[in-house]
Amino acid sequence: MDKIKRLDSDLLGRLLKDIEKPGRYINNEIGTKSKSPGTMEDFQDLILMALVFPDIYEVGMSNLGLQILYEIINKHKCFSAERVFSPWIDFEEKLRKEKVKIFSLENRIFLDSFDLIGFTVQHEFLYTNILNILDMGGIGIRAVDRRNRFPLVCAGGPAIVNPQPLSRFMDFFVIGDGEEVVISILQRVKKYRENNKDKNWFLKEISRLDGIYIPGFYRFYYYPDGRIKSIEPGEKVKKAVIKNLNEFQIVQDPIIPNIKTVHDRFAVEIMRGCSRGCRFCQAGIIYRPVRKREVGSLVRQCIAGLKKTGYDEISFLSLSSSDYGEIGHLLDKITDPSKHGRLSISMPSMRLDSLNLKLFELIQSGRKTGLTFAPEAGSQRMRNIINKNIEEKEMLDCIKMAFSSGWDKIKLYFMIGLPYENDKDIHEITLLVEKIIMAARERLSGKKLARLKINISINVFCPKPFTPFQWVSHDNPGNLDSKFDYILKNVSKRYVNINWTDSKKSRIECALARGNERVGEVIESAWKKGARFDNWTDFFKLSVWEEEFVKAGLDIDLFTRKFSVDEILPWDIIDIGVSKDFLLKEYDRARECL
Amino acid sequence: MTEQENVCETRIRFKFYKKDEFKYLSHLDISRIMIRAIRRAELEIKYSQGYNPKPKIGFSPPTPLGVESMAEYADVLLEGNIDERTFKKKLNSELKPQMLISEARIITEKTENLMNAAAVVLYGFELHICSSDNKGMPGRFYTGLKKDLTTGPDFCNSIFDLKIITAEGSSDIILLKLFGYVKIFKEENNEIFKFNNFYGFFENWLKKYCIDIKNVKKEELFVLCGGILKTPMEVV
Ligand code: SF4
Repeated sequence: MDKIKRLDSDLLGRLLKDIEKPGRYINNEIGTKSKSPGTMEDFQDLILMALVFPDIYEVGMSNLGLQILYEIINKHKCFSAERVFSPWIDFEEKLRKEKVKIFSLENRIFLDSFDLIGFTVQHEFLYTNILNILDMGGIGIRAVDRRNRFPLVCAGGPAIVNPQPLSRFMDFFVIGDGEEVVISILQRVKKYRENNKDKNWFLKEISRLDGIYIPGFYRFYYYPDGRIKSIEPGEKVKKAVIKNLNEFQIVQDPIIPNIKTVHDRFAVEIMRGCSRGCRFCQAGIIYRPVRKREVGSLVRQCIAGLKKTGYDEISFLSLSSSDYGEIGHLLDKITDPSKHGRLSISMPSMRLDSLNLKLFELIQSGRKTGLTFAPEAGSQRMRNIINKNIEEKEMLDCIKMAFSSGWDKIKLYFMIGLPYENDKDIHEITLLVEKIIMAARERLSGKKLARLKINISINVFCPKPFTPFQWVSHDNPGNLDSKFDYILKNVSKRYVNINWTDSKKSRIECALARGNERVGEVIESAWKKGARFDNWTDFFKLSVWEEEFVKAGLDIDLFTRKFSVDEILPWDIIDIGVSKDFLLKEYDRARECL
Repeated sequence: MTEQENVCETRIRFKFYKKDEFKYLSHLDISRIMIRAIRRAELEIKYSQGYNPKPKIGFSPPTPLGVESMAEYADVLLEGNIDERTFKKKLNSELKPQMLISEARIITEKTENLMNAAAVVLYGFELHICSSDNKGMPGRFYTGLKKDLTTGPDFCNSIFDLKIITAEGSSDIILLKLFGYVKIFKEENNEIFKFNNFYGFFENWLKKYCIDIKNVKKEELFVLCGGILKTPMEVV
């Protein structure tokens, strides 16, 4: 059995010299749960899993999913999970220069000493960070190059529901809810290690579980133009689903970061899934079915959690909090017993209307930070097409009410490049903004009006797998830019602040999201050319990506074009719980709105 | 704001250290960690009034990132009656070993807040003489120190005092105690001691004597009380 290797603690101090935010790498937070056996030998009896979040500490520690898995695994006496995040550029340089492998936070175990490495992947622009972490761990990035029985490498999370772009790098994927399946996997890792079986035996064992996709067990056949001819075997991998959220308590004593993170608060998932059915929305499909937490026990757990953590802010998470029936009751109960505690509450996905504005103000308890709306499109026609049920009148009424009670900051989310979009739809975005400014002129006094701020965020629509719009094309960058220019020219700059996503970057995102296994070559070569932290505007290397697609002999258009409804899609091998027929029907219904 | 007689509250000054890994945490991190620990310990901090209530806790001036400190101080105002021992015990059970309370005292009389009161900070440098041939070295080093640091142009106005102690049992180690200003005194025409600037300069300067900085710690903080320096604990 291989010996477990750890970083010498004296060395850490030397490595951290002149490193930006060294607090990222020091562990020792309240709430860490990894096993810490006194002697190295004791580690041998444990199955060690590295939970890797391929982004910096501040982002990764704000992710509730990571804390959930961390707790579930560490509750188990035979398993221990430790955290690994992407080191920031300066620390990576230092580690590479000093020839020190990347290590976990808790016991500073080098990545290649783990039995299982699991990446949680939140979006496509983290793909290169995954390769970078494997490489920094001295681990072969391609599955075929990893001849040793350990470590095993897997990935889960929303950005791998189409596993193909990463398939060459992973031994297996976990599709769906991780809570139950992670333990089933680790039990099999234990057997695999104890019985000295070969890797294939292990993969066969786990392939019987729901949610496990093993790329090595499938063959893809292609037409000369790059479309998929067939996938063998054809049997789909069923997403892992936990039926009842209530069987899993919320994480009441999460790890409390020592340094400031993106979301530094007590986070509680009140509901999983969303049934609103916006046709562009991937989360709305892949997290189905809707499961709610029972409010009584939720309240008790939240109060216990606030006590245990000392947090003064609680955040209720779900895809659409206004759809949680007992939201009023929940808020009453949470704010009441802890009134001495100056608790602030946030509900990131609350859908505002004139009915719940008062409730929202209550939550904000006097802080008028800003109201957020996501009409996504400017025209009712377009909102019908995408099935975003927001009535303009309803929204404007709510905004007017808000102005009257003193709010002066509004944030709006729009998308451009939506299917069937025309000039009029774009024009209506500018009209809507004008109407809001008019409302502000009516309702806000001179001083307040001067302070009015309307922040508009314009995202390029990127068709994603498992949505009714999975077949539509990505709008071309030329079109997108002129649509964006039109908006920029036609809204009054006085009160409005606009930010947008780069159209060419969005095209790469689309190619990664809808890519086939060959896109893996591009990810690998782009990473070798220095691509990482692609989500950070400063680091995104557009020309590298474009060049590497060309070098691989892959036309980006193959992945951004309009797919035909009867062609085989790279992610067809996954059964996400919603049938392709349903998606098709929804696609048809969108067209009926024309 | 004047506190009413009948309102039951306790004002406590406490001293804590941050060492080992916690030296990498910033002043803001440390204060956030402390406030959360106080909440976990179910000690109720008083909050200021108004739209954006702030917890009534004030810390001594920041210690530079990467430097261990044995002398961090804070004043906190708590609801209710609580004695020092319970306070320290409760709070320490919610803190990590890298950052613990070493002393706590109830403040009974009005005291100036720590940020304003802090006058002088003491850093302890542990210096290692690298060259084997170090006869006469400490002497030369000491003269140089006087010339370049206490009277030289760069730091003479920000250093209040310097002391050298030879470590017991080792002739290769020099302990340097540096007292730097953290407050401007008009009559002394002084400057604030800037640790990071000094450290960079000093590390380089030491090279000509073949001396390395082995370790540095913030050892104490002093406030001025009736013309003499006292620790913040001595004045309450
Ligand atoms: S956009 Fe929001 S409301 Fe619409 S389906 Fe997605 S999660 Fe639900």
